[in-house]
Amino acid sequence: MSLLEVRNVSKRYGGGQAVVTALEGVTFTVDAGSMLAILGPSGSGKTTLLSVIAGLLQPSSGEIVIDGSPIHVRSASEAAAYRREKIGLVFQDYHLIPYLSAVENLLLMPRLGGRVTHDHRDKAFGLLEEFDLGKRVKHVPSELSGGERQRVAIARALMNDPEIMLVDEPTANLDTERGMQVVSMLGEHVRSRKMTCLMVTHDQRMCEGADQVLRLVDGRMAERA
Amino acid sequence: MLALSEILHSKLKFALIALAIGLVVALTMTLSAISEGLVTGMTGAKGNLDADAVVFQGDTYLNLERSLLTTDDVKRVRSAEGVAEAYGVGHVFISVNAPGEALDTHAFGLEADFDQLPIVEGVGGMPADGEAIVDETARADGVEVGDTLTLTPIDRELTVIGFTKNRRYVMAPVFYVNLDTYEDLRAATMFGAMAETTDGNVSIAAVKLEPGVTVDELAETLGGDFDVATPEEAALAGNGMPVMILAVNGIQGVSFVIGALVIGVFFYITTLHKTGQIAAIKALGASNVFVYRQLLLQILVLVTVGALIGTSLALGAGAGMPPAMAFDPRPDRWGVTLGLVYLMAFVGSLFSLRSILRIDPATALDHAEH
Repeated sequence: MSLLEVRNVSKRYGGGQAVVTALEGVTFTVDAGSMLAILGPSGSGKTTLLSVIAGLLQPSSGEIVIDGSPIHVRSASEAAAYRREKIGLVFQDYHLIPYLSAVENLLLMPRLGGRVTHDHRDKAFGLLEEFDLGKRVKHVPSELSGGERQRVAIARALMNDPEIMLVDEPTANLDTERGMQVVSMLGEHVRSRKMTCLMVTHDQRMCEGADQVLRLVDGRMAERA
Repeated sequence: MLALSEILHSKLKFALIALAIGLVVALTMTLSAISEGLVTGMTGAKGNLDADAVVFQGDTYLNLERSLLTTDDVKRVRSAEGVAEAYGVGHVFISVNAPGEALDTHAFGLEADFDQLPIVEGVGGMPADGEAIVDETARADGVEVGDTLTLTPIDRELTVIGFTKNRRYVMAPVFYVNLDTYEDLRAATMFGAMAETTDGNVSIAAVKLEPGVTVDELAETLGGDFDVATPEEAALAGNGMPVMILAVNGIQGVSFVIGALVIGVFFYITTLHKTGQIAAIKALGASNVFVYRQLLLQILVLVTVGALIGTSLALGAGAGMPPAMAFDPRPDRWGVTLGLVYLMAFVGSLFSLRSILRIDPATALDHAEH
């Protein structure tokens, strides 16, 4: 059963002669609990597609439907609530809060929605243990390695039990070995939680564990495997 | 909370911001105290008269130096409807040969109610003939309790029996004497050293009103022969006070505006430095309200710390000033100043709010690719 439907989505920037088409007629579906890798070179529209699905950008045309409900027509505050409750977002640059420890970075997610409870704390410590960060819970990002930061970022995205994980170039700032480890760990956690995951990457090797691969070239779907 | 965690993580940065706010607070408070000190120094003896109303000779425009009330005038005031009691207050310029240097100052003769003078040293109550209670700023000129001072050129002497406070007039310490001594000083000043009396004339009458009677009603009762004002109005009249008040208010207004801009710009800059971080938090699902609330909390903490630093610095500056220096830290004014500092910080935060609203969460994912 499809959890996510992307229907004929286009995204254009600017106007008149200076219009730039980032996405053109992109259509696909993703089943619940599956992992989709979106592959493409730099400038192919991968991140724009992720941003549109996350509700960070409005598509110029087309529809995004998650679990039967359109998300492309929401207001900014509704989109923020949607991301907070339904989406787990992992950034290429981690975007960990520099003055918060690893566990506090995880607790940021429930804090955005209200109060932090003991259950949240237990869960945050548990997730950090699962990501082999049990001894780094009190460390701030500047005291962590790149791989550790990315694992904290993934654990943070899992804090609110999202329906969909949107992961942007998770290995871009890591060497191949650490990148493979991070992707492998991400795949394990997503599958064990039966989550749906969309991962943007420019590296073919990172697509090995994906159920489907969508290739984007110049904003258009080139291939789906 | 996010805001407090950030402060604790970057202690030096935020300590410097709090110090900068503290300096702004200290500046506005010191200017406020100096302004108040100037006003008190110019008018304290008039403005602090224990009275509900002050009656001047008619058409003297509340000018103490030009007003003259005869004994009959004071009787008329005393017997007017709505007046509970009234006492004459005389003013005369005197030159005092103080130990430090010659003082060009003022003697106030009180007919009664010497208890209104707060005594900081020596004794209070009505002085005997030839005795005076003096504003404490005369200490700066070497005057001490027990000194007998010569008045020039009138060949009179005054013995200081006590010091009072906040009783200066036109920036000079006032010498309070009884009415007989005042009459002697005035006669000598006006008619030469041998004159002994001016027939009980005083400058003004300080009036205590019956309950419910207003100053305007008293003015109506007394008619055009007299000018009537509250002590506060009387204090701010004459001696160029309206112009001085305008200047003082201008100085305070400018310091508040500059303070508001400085504090606003501080938080605006810190917000600009965090644009990427705020974009990421918004991308994760934070509302603008959440982000702005963190900023407000940070401002509240920093301004409170800054206010403590600023108040301490201003008090320290005041303590280091010589007694004759115009510095009057009034708690009510400083309270208003602090309130305005918080208001300034809030107004300043609105610049940052504009930035927060404009930060596009999509930029958190934007790394030169579309």
